[in-house]
Amino acid sequence: MKAFLVTLGIGVVLAGATGAQAHHRFWARCNYEAPTFTTSMTRDAAQDYANAARYEGYQWGGGCWNYDDVDSYPYDPPGDPSAHGEGGDCSGLTFKTWRESNDEWRDGRYFWFAMRNVHGPYTAGRFKRGDGAPNHVISKSAVGVMDAFASESHIGLVFYRSLYGGDQIVEAKCESCGTNIFYRTYRSDPSYSGVARWGWTG
Amino acid sequence: MRRPTTRSLAGGAAGIAAGILGGIVLGSGSAGGTASPARRAPVEAAHLPPLLTMPGEPITLRYAIVCSPRDDGLPCDGSGDVYLRPGRRGPFRRLALGRGDEAVDGRYFVDVPAQIASSREGFSYYAVLRDEENGDSVTVPSGGEAAPQHSLPLRNAVEVRVGLHAFGSTRARDVRVITAEWGSDVGEAGVEGTRELGFVGPSSFDVDAHGTVTVLDQVNGRLQRWARDGVAATPVDVSGGLADMAVEPDGSVAVLEPPNRSTPAPMLRRFDATGASKGVQRLADRTWAKLADGPDGPVVLQQPSEQWMPAALDRAAQARHGTPGRPLGGGRELLVQRVGAGELRLAEVAGNATVRAWRITSATTLGEVQLAESLGSRIVVVAKTYTEDQGEYVVLVLDRAGVVERFGLSAPQWAEAAPLARFRLAGSSLYRLGSTPSGVFVDRFDLEVAR
Repeated sequence: MKAFLVTLGIGVVLAGATGAQAHHRFWARCNYEAPTFTTSMTRDAAQDYANAARYEGYQWGGGCWNYDDVDSYPYDPPGDPSAHGEGGDCSGLTFKTWRESNDEWRDGRYFWFAMRNVHGPYTAGRFKRGDGAPNHVISKSAVGVMDAFASESHIGLVFYRSLYGGDQIVEAKCESCGTNIFYRTYRSDPSYSGVARWGWTG
Repeated sequence: MRRPTTRSLAGGAAGIAAGILGGIVLGSGSAGGTASPARRAPVEAAHLPPLLTMPGEPITLRYAIVCSPRDDGLPCDGSGDVYLRPGRRGPFRRLALGRGDEAVDGRYFVDVPAQIASSREGFSYYAVLRDEENGDSVTVPSGGEAAPQHSLPLRNAVEVRVGLHAFGSTRARDVRVITAEWGSDVGEAGVEGTRELGFVGPSSFDVDAHGTVTVLDQVNGRLQRWARDGVAATPVDVSGGLADMAVEPDGSVAVLEPPNRSTPAPMLRRFDATGASKGVQRLADRTWAKLADGPDGPVVLQQPSEQWMPAALDRAAQARHGTPGRPLGGGRELLVQRVGAGELRLAEVAGNATVRAWRITSATTLGEVQLAESLGSRIVVVAKTYTEDQGEYVVLVLDRAGVVERFGLSAPQWAEAAPLARFRLAGSSLYRLGSTPSGVFVDRFDLEVAR
């Protein structure tokens, strides 16, 4: 019994090590419920949704966050989806904000709660090419609120246009950046294309 | 010491296993926090002010009101009032915001009454925006009545038509001032990232009156100065994010950092010439676009206020001293507004008086204004011009008669830098920060006005 108690303590300490928790961390609290089909999808409701993801962190391949304004795992190794930390990545945030379906042929509106762990089938590069029934490429000068700019490696949503010709972009950019609103000049960057969601209702 | 028995070994193994399982359960429980969203965040806002308007142009003020997301997926129930007055003095008149059917430019709006919009001195205004669900409110600009936004009519502006941009016909540099290969030794510059996520290099630079080039090598946590007698590195305590930077006249350095995983708000850090900290100040607003060295210290263009604020002051004081234009000293400001796809309006103003103004129109789409600065009696402007798959800079030197000098510049950026930090004007030379797969460089372009 004594050996059990001593090693029980050692086990608890070991469990705190990163490797032991790798697959049982933030995602253990996420859910896998079906989305809610909605008939409306307005750009300001999308702003509400993306804005609420600020401060919740970044997770490569992720799409699950709570609303406590803190990245629960801010020092995950970049580019490692098995870290299972909090936050979406750039394309996961876009997919959920744009209320898309995991079925690429569906162009309906599917509302995913923040703790619903879903990334969607699209990478930034696929968004850039307008892949999937809900998505399409548009002229960069026409990109407006909650449309997006996408490159092969990143996508960010336009929160609002700004003086000096840049844009306020809400994006999940990198592990150390987290998710937030930044001033960017993607609009004039040749590596970025303008992309948009079909089906806004206002 | 006794030899371990089979029983004690088994007990130990069971203990470790139970401990790990228990630890994981405890860890995952604390990781998730609340499983169901219950956020009631402060109301957020966005607004693009009509800083410079054409006489007779109808003016509508539009706002985005951003609240906590609703579980039914509908937009928030917002409301607001705009307080307007002609010119810069006198009582404000309250107008309730209307709620439109479209949110692409902001759902909430008010048409500025003609008698206010037509004032020769323009008009000033601020808005109080509310989330009706919880009564939370936000004022835009942040200084409210103490520092309202100003809109001025663009009268007697010099018309400049730049026509179609000829991509590929760019000017060659006069001098490559510095070249630094990627690395961490003195004289090299740090780069980080991956092919999948993109690369980030030195995010900003500045040039002093002697031609000394200071590069913010934030990946290596240092400043590097290239002077005539060589290069020197000075460690500074920065987060490593994409930051803007300005060298102050006394050699101090201001570094404007974005929010990050450990600091959720943008911060201005100041260092003396040795790299010792001179203080840290949080910005008044949530987002920044550009840092500049103002007549009384560093000033930052901030959003949602869309005002230049003295960033070394505390947050409330920044908001109280916000101005629509970049302060030039002597009570003058330089107002910059990109309009539509290919128009740029510029005005140097003193109070309500427009000292000089330009209206630039381009047949090729214009992007961001990287630089707009006074050079004696002239103004130097660097703006991006772009198509769907091309992008270059157009440089204009303007005076009261029109264009004095004009040329195109390429946009060599392999590694990302801060958004509006790629050009600096020092003396009568323009400097450009660029990068390639092998390193970073700064090029100099001498302007004709000096010759």
